[in-house]
Amino acid sequence: MFKDETKLDISYVPSRLPHREHELRLLRQFFNFLLQFPGKMAQRIIITGDVGTGKTAISQRFGADITNEANKLGIKLCYVHVNCREYRGSLFLILHQAVTRFHPNFPRRGYSAEELINILFEILDEENAYAILALDEFESLVDKEGSEAVYRLTRLQEIRYGKPQRLSLICIARNLKVFERLDASTRSTLQSNIISLEKYSKKQLTDILNDRVNLAFKPSTVSDETVDLVAELAFSEGGNARFGIELLWRAGKYADAEGFGAVNPEHVRRAASSIIPTLRKSEIASLGLHEKIFLLGIARLFKTSQAAYVPFSEAERAYAIICEELGEKPHSHTQLWKYLQNFAATGVVKTEVSVVGNRGRSTIIYLPRIPADELEKELSSILEEGRRSS
Amino acid sequence: MSVENVLSSRVRIKILKILMKMGELNISEIARRLNVNYSTASQHLRILEGAGIVKQKTFGKIRLYRLNEQSPRVRALQNLIEVWESK
Repeated sequence: MFKDETKLDISYVPSRLPHREHELRLLRQFFNFLLQFPGKMAQRIIITGDVGTGKTAISQRFGADITNEANKLGIKLCYVHVNCREYRGSLFLILHQAVTRFHPNFPRRGYSAEELINILFEILDEENAYAILALDEFESLVDKEGSEAVYRLTRLQEIRYGKPQRLSLICIARNLKVFERLDASTRSTLQSNIISLEKYSKKQLTDILNDRVNLAFKPSTVSDETVDLVAELAFSEGGNARFGIELLWRAGKYADAEGFGAVNPEHVRRAASSIIPTLRKSEIASLGLHEKIFLLGIARLFKTSQAAYVPFSEAERAYAIICEELGEKPHSHTQLWKYLQNFAATGVVKTEVSVVGNRGRSTIIYLPRIPADELEKELSSILEEGRRSS
Repeated sequence: MSVENVLSSRVRIKILKILMKMGELNISEIARRLNVNYSTASQHLRILEGAGIVKQKTFGKIRLYRLNEQSPRVRALQNLIEVWESK
């Protein structure tokens, strides 16, 4: 199934970042001077965006690219990416991480964070090097250390009169709220260049996922329908590309484990149910009889078709067949429509309006999180129990 | 300093082996790894430094020791240890 599953790893930074080209160019523009006039100025950039919008990826891609370019020009530039949360927001540990890029066995005890900032500058001076320190999950640093630490980090080199400016910062945060917690002077040193990453659209997520499919999977093992469902789920999780990529990997694992030659939408649903809470049994049990029958019809459709989505009209037909099997009089189209809205509201299904040719609009149904066969088994056994007890 | 003086100590030879492996360490870490106290490690490092075998770099309060790679003596010692240790 996989040709290289490391391409789906969270730490993998692809050479191409679809739909982030503009932001990457902007970042490069902000740091242009560093290659043209090294030491004349340091830069501070803020990158904001929700989870999975590519903040870390764009920063790391930029870091690798600019380091290569600088090296070609004979400039010793080091990009240090630190996740502040991993270091419990401690300025000392964050700076230590930067220092160990130059001296891997630098001791962790015997000096303060303030001394460590000076040591870092001493090392950079001695090596005639420049560093870009990317502070990912910047909120953790502010939570733990407050304004003062950030102020020291930004201002210390400004008071090194006559010496080259060697340390630039990239602060990566979910949004700008964290900067409101900094005092005015610290804020003013930071908040000049902001790159805000918008949530990915479903189309953009599809492009990103297709790129990863090509890198990680053998040819023709992941269909467009499967990618479409993963993109849909990632979009419903706030346009979270990271979630989508992880889902893709898990779905691939499920398909591999079950000996399938391809990843299909059912594997995606199984994978999704393993990372996000699925519908609880009590929630299914509390549905009305015809809601259960309708949902069973939807589950059967997904199970037999292996499709990523089904049209509402087909779900209605599947419902009518089960009503016939059970000897129940089918409810009206309008009633089923209401049931569908309820399912969508509780997250059991997801609906979307699609334009079909020139004949108007039709509703399509996704079963995003619950594997169809599990849902079918669950509903069948509940309906069976209900019939026995009546 | 004569070669017999430099190599007459197990601690000094162990320091050489550790620095060959780790590249660079501070005194406390060398002492911890050798299971000797700080002043013993410091004393042996001074002898090795005097013989031009190790060199130190100071950052604030921190002193980091490494082998003096430019010295032909160090290259000879590295070679000796590598040959000796290889099975």
